[in-house]
Amino acid sequence: MKLINIITFVYLILTLAGLLIGGFFIYLKIDSEIEFEMGRELDRQVDSVADQIRSGNPYQSLVNGRLEIEIIPFDRLEEELYLRDTLAFHEPNDKKVKQLKASKSFKIDGEHYRISYFNLLVETDDITETVVFTMVVVFLLQLAFIVLFLRGISNRIFRPFQYSLSKIQDFNFSQNEPFIFEKSKIKEFDQLNDFLMRMSKKLLKDYRQIKEFSENISHEIQTPASVVRGKLEHLMNEEITEEQAHLIHSAYQNNERIQRIVKSLSLLAKLENNEFETPSKVNLSEILLKNIEMAEELISVSNLSLEKDVENNVFAIIHPFIAEILIQNLIGNAVKHNQKGGWVKIQLTSKFLKIENSGTPLKKNPEELLQRFQKESDKPESIGLGLSIVNQICKSYGLLFMYSSKGEIHTAKILLS
Amino acid sequence: MKILLIEDNSELAENVVRYLDHEGILCETANSLFIAEDKLLSYSYDCVLLDLMLPDGDGLSLLELIKSRKSSPNVLIISAKGALDDKIKGLDQGADDYLPKPFHLSELLARLKAIYRRSKLDGSDEIQIKEISINLTTSEAFVNGNYLDLTKKEFDLLIFLMTNKNRVLGKEAIAQHLWGDYTDNLANFDFVYQHMKNLRKKICGAGGKDYLKTVYGLGYKFDENTI
Repeated sequence: MKLINIITFVYLILTLAGLLIGGFFIYLKIDSEIEFEMGRELDRQVDSVADQIRSGNPYQSLVNGRLEIEIIPFDRLEEELYLRDTLAFHEPNDKKVKQLKASKSFKIDGEHYRISYFNLLVETDDITETVVFTMVVVFLLQLAFIVLFLRGISNRIFRPFQYSLSKIQDFNFSQNEPFIFEKSKIKEFDQLNDFLMRMSKKLLKDYRQIKEFSENISHEIQTPASVVRGKLEHLMNEEITEEQAHLIHSAYQNNERIQRIVKSLSLLAKLENNEFETPSKVNLSEILLKNIEMAEELISVSNLSLEKDVENNVFAIIHPFIAEILIQNLIGNAVKHNQKGGWVKIQLTSKFLKIENSGTPLKKNPEELLQRFQKESDKPESIGLGLSIVNQICKSYGLLFMYSSKGEIHTAKILLS
Repeated sequence: MKILLIEDNSELAENVVRYLDHEGILCETANSLFIAEDKLLSYSYDCVLLDLMLPDGDGLSLLELIKSRKSSPNVLIISAKGALDDKIKGLDQGADDYLPKPFHLSELLARLKAIYRRSKLDGSDEIQIKEISINLTTSEAFVNGNYLDLTKKEFDLLIFLMTNKNRVLGKEAIAQHLWGDYTDNLANFDFVYQHMKNLRKKICGAGGKDYLKTVYGLGYKFDENTI
């Protein structure tokens, strides 16, 4: 939900609640005010009737539909003003309606008159109607106000915030541009922007350093590892005992391992930095078949059976060199983590590339194996970067890579479209 | 064969020099563009091993000078840059081959000899050790003149072994030579053993001596002095 909508919504709810409570009190107030005013008016009427009687008018002539005069025993005390609601017949409406009756008694010329005066009471329904009508009008006015002004104003107030938000969404490491924000007039937004500017600068700096580090480390480690390899190759050709041969071999193998790790890491770094030129449309079928041909021998030497189902002329947008690495890694993975007498199944359609293999059931969550240096087997030759490379390649080229395992079947699947 | 190695890392250079020296190849070294230029102008070489990242510049800039020489030597680029770009650029500008660092010394020798054979010995392209001979033009191998029926991989393996005769070749180097980057994913080198076994069987079957020796767990070598 958009911030401005939430604000509008909350504001309207609050207004509505305010109007309801206010309406209730207004209703009570109006009701009591009307009764009070009317009581005073009736009191005056009664007093003026009493004056007329005093001035000698016969009281019978004064009686009408709204005035009642009765004679009560003289020995009673004079009654104070007494107001009460009553139902009385109302001629114009031709029915009994609620009326307010004010009565008071006077002792005039030795007679005790009780004078009662009626008046129509405003019905509560009418009051309710009036109050509700007023409130609805007020609410509608508020609504119009909010829509027209508040949203307009809020949008203007939030503009720097919206701007920062869109900048953050567009942030891209490869552009190497830290955020630059103008000063807005709002303190909080300036604090936020300030923080964002500092953070983006720091992020880009760290990113550059990591990038440089992985670029340099590949070269810096490769050279000494290369030297070591050469020395060991020379050592192999010296007169050596079997024990020495084992030592050399072990050193040699581990040195090879270092070189493989460095090579893989530098490939990963290059992929992450998008250092490969723009991808082109390549015939994946051709690359796959070429690689299967290479791998067939390895598969048969490893005592595995191969099943392939490759559709012709399947194209993908990817760098051809990367496509090759991708396929090599997938097939290599399927062969390496297989079991005795197992199988490898390679399937390519226009929709997906699927490479399945038999193998011991996974102990780890397949997703975890996509992380760097996560490996299922304890094979020392495996460096645990193969699937990370596949995963990174797919990420870089917008392909969806899924690795799953069901019992003894492991499936690597890449959706091509 | 006389070679100029342009490489700034003295240890690496020493490795190469020593390996090639063993094969009777004379190898001079230059550790900067400046020295390399000087040597190229003063002497003639059969082949130049060119590193691209040098302290005083990019090795690619030397290519033009090398190619302008009258008896232009072959150029084998050796580079740790490894990017596909460099490879294509180098080959476009007249380099004969490209070997990414890190390389096996045996691989370097094999490439070097292949380039040398291609350019200097055009036509008569043969390798002969004792009773085994290989005709590289027709891709045929013979033992005592008898045709040896080899698969493509076995043929490549035999050339590799004979080029590096009397040297121990690590299983990794052999695998790298035959299967390229594919071996990165496979550290199980049983298939090298399989091929070696088949090749040995075929040579012995055709009346050749058992030249292919297993060196402990390390690797294999073509031992010329087998009795």
